[in-house]
Amino acid sequence: MKRRPFLFAALATTFLTTPAFAADVPEGVTLADEQTFTYRTLDEFSSFDPQVVEDVDGSNVVRDLFEGLYNQDADGNIVPGVALNHEASDDNLTYTFNLRDNAKWSDGTPVTAGDFVYAWQRAVDPELASPYAWYMELMAIENGASIIAGEMEPTALGVSAPDDTTLVVKLSEPLPYFTKMVTHATTFPAPKWAIEEHGAQWTRPENMVSNGAYVLTAHVPKERSVRSRNEMYWDNENTVLDTVTTYVIGDEAQGLTRWRAGEVDMTDIPAGQYPALSQEFPNEAFALPRLCNYYFNFNLASGPEAFKDVRVRQALALAVDREIIVDRVLQGGQFPAFSFTPAATAGFETPDIEMASMTQAERDAKAKELLTEAGYGEGGEPLSFTYLYNTSEAHQQVAIVATQMWKQKLGVDVTLENQEWKVFLETRGAQNYDMARGAWCGDYNEASTFLDLLTTESGYNDAKFSNARVDELMAEAKSSNDPQPLYTEVEQIVAAEMPVIPIYHYSTNIMLSESIQGWPINNVEQNWYAKDLYRIAD
Amino acid sequence: MLNYTLRRLLMVIPTLLILVIFAFYLMRLAPGGPFTSERPLPPAVMANVLERYGMDEPLYVQLWTYIKNIICCFDFGPSFAQKDRTVNDVIAQGFPVTLTYGFWSAVFVLMLGVPLGIIAALRHNGFWDYTMTGLAIFSQIFPNFVLAPLLVLLFTLSWGLLPGGGWNGGQWQYIVMPAIALGTSYMASVARLTRGSMLEVLGSPYIRTARAKGLPERTIILRHALKPALLPTLTYMGPVFVYMITGSVFVDVFFSTGGIGQDFIDGAYSRDYSILLGLAILYAVLTFALTLAVDLLYAWIDPKVRAGLS
Repeated sequence: MKRRPFLFAALATTFLTTPAFAADVPEGVTLADEQTFTYRTLDEFSSFDPQVVEDVDGSNVVRDLFEGLYNQDADGNIVPGVALNHEASDDNLTYTFNLRDNAKWSDGTPVTAGDFVYAWQRAVDPELASPYAWYMELMAIENGASIIAGEMEPTALGVSAPDDTTLVVKLSEPLPYFTKMVTHATTFPAPKWAIEEHGAQWTRPENMVSNGAYVLTAHVPKERSVRSRNEMYWDNENTVLDTVTTYVIGDEAQGLTRWRAGEVDMTDIPAGQYPALSQEFPNEAFALPRLCNYYFNFNLASGPEAFKDVRVRQALALAVDREIIVDRVLQGGQFPAFSFTPAATAGFETPDIEMASMTQAERDAKAKELLTEAGYGEGGEPLSFTYLYNTSEAHQQVAIVATQMWKQKLGVDVTLENQEWKVFLETRGAQNYDMARGAWCGDYNEASTFLDLLTTESGYNDAKFSNARVDELMAEAKSSNDPQPLYTEVEQIVAAEMPVIPIYHYSTNIMLSESIQGWPINNVEQNWYAKDLYRIAD
Repeated sequence: MLNYTLRRLLMVIPTLLILVIFAFYLMRLAPGGPFTSERPLPPAVMANVLERYGMDEPLYVQLWTYIKNIICCFDFGPSFAQKDRTVNDVIAQGFPVTLTYGFWSAVFVLMLGVPLGIIAALRHNGFWDYTMTGLAIFSQIFPNFVLAPLLVLLFTLSWGLLPGGGWNGGQWQYIVMPAIALGTSYMASVARLTRGSMLEVLGSPYIRTARAKGLPERTIILRHALKPALLPTLTYMGPVFVYMITGSVFVDVFFSTGGIGQDFIDGAYSRDYSILLGLAILYAVLTFALTLAVDLLYAWIDPKVRAGLS
């Protein structure tokens, strides 16, 4: 088998000699005496077990406690973690990762390829029943789906360790973005001996063994968690922050108050407060692009008859003035959207979409024309439907503004209906709606994480959009070396068919104390590592 | 008296059973479940998850297993949302927190509310009465969600005296604001209740007799009037105390205390059935215990009640 060494091989050699991927403190900066970082989280974490954790805040902690094959740098590119580099076979179905030999667990045991094999088998094991087992399925690891379905033993998973520093992964499909997926918590190694000794309690601070730059030293659920520097971490000497503390603060406004009082270094900005706060704290209020979209689903399966007419869908999409929603209503640095995939997605070029290049006046005129043509609106049949969203002030504001635009410009009557989150999910999932809010955050930084949603078979295709060409293109993209033209075509089909109306792409709004430096503001997944941060003296 | 107590205790069992059955089915009426999420789980993954938590069984089997585990092993099941923890873990961690600030809040309510009420009654229609009544009404119109941010604004942001939230093992600085925020409106009710019943007692014939006998005012108030005047306050405080120590959702969330009040709301949103059921049982047991305690206190205070019991 001919193997193509990955670009990393060259990078990794330099990497071993210079701390290029640890906290990068510029010359002349005075570090604070106390290297601490404190931040707010909204909820208690779902778990600290890498194969079980399913929330964003929990994953942020797990990324500090454990280190996977690769990490992300400040721009979201993959950089060596436990793996130094990898080789892919010609058919891209076999990946061989070469692991560093100096990585250690916090109890001093070396980190081996076997720890990854154990962890990955664990992730698909029906006995652990991890809700994130789907991620392994998404990674297309050989036999993953059959193991989850209980048809094969976990040991049949396509991952093996010929020796302690070699990990071989076999895929069932040649995913072009496979290596990007191994920065995810589900793929982190797990310490078999600690898990077997303590069972579900192995994630308690007193029992936990981890291989990341930090170890868990205290955890008071729903109040705080503290992680401290892991002396055994292979790059410990280049880690600057000593302790990282999280406080669970359920109330956003209270989070901001405690940020003002200096009790936390970082907190989310409550909806609508970004403009005022960025005036008051120009160097500490951030609006960063984020890998999430916001859209309206048409129910194409059992919604109003009118939605079956593409002109009606186009008209409604055209009449929404996204600038107003973004600049006047949300005011948090969001981006008006005409494509489903956010522009910030790595390697994704937003295709030319006609609607995007029109002025709003042109869009409005075209909307009226299309709706009249379809026989609805002024002079035609009255159009009315219900818009469903999950209870939240921000969603309500968007709903009111958008439906007012339809009312004023097109004479369309929309009834608003809001439901509590889980009720909403059930209703939407069962297609018991006319039009419903939708939003999606990328699982990895590649366009397919969004566009896969629009394929016929997708479980998250709430609009029930089905287009044979889209299915074909997305299947092709899974093994293509250059999927961008395929994605462009999918976006163009979606813009023409308009099964969903893209409204905006999210931004992350945070207050971050000026003394904390090294934040990866360009990483659109907002995957940050405390080992890359440092606190400067006031 | 002992008989009465035992009888009351025995009644707890069927009542709890009804509560568990009712709550168990009621929770499941709400659409969605603990594993409903924005990204629906693939069927095979969902099947594994449901099996792990025994949720693939028919409901009555699940209920029976639940009750059996409680009786045999005091096991209230795993939490669905906090995957590394059981209901027992969650309550063992959160309940002492709410118990602590709830207790201090109750102390605050009684230590301030009762004297205010007495003073107002003694100076009936005088300056102090109006001041106290005014103060009481003023605090009653301040619900905790208005009071709490005000306290934080003053004590944390303006004066920098107290931390804006957290618990930190229960140091006093972290208890002050939650206790005041939780107790203030109850304090007002207690003051008004005490004032009203004190006025009634002071107008009763036996107090007139005591005054006619020339007893010192101090003895009349503290020895003869106060005990009966406290009966309505006591009735009121029983359930209020349960409410306080099981945690106010708002106070827990706002001050990030880590108390169980927050679990109620989180449990409801995330459909964490086992947490909700566990908390409902805790709440019920505490209600029973405290109403019983209040009834026994009644007997101690009021000879008429004591006679009725035996």
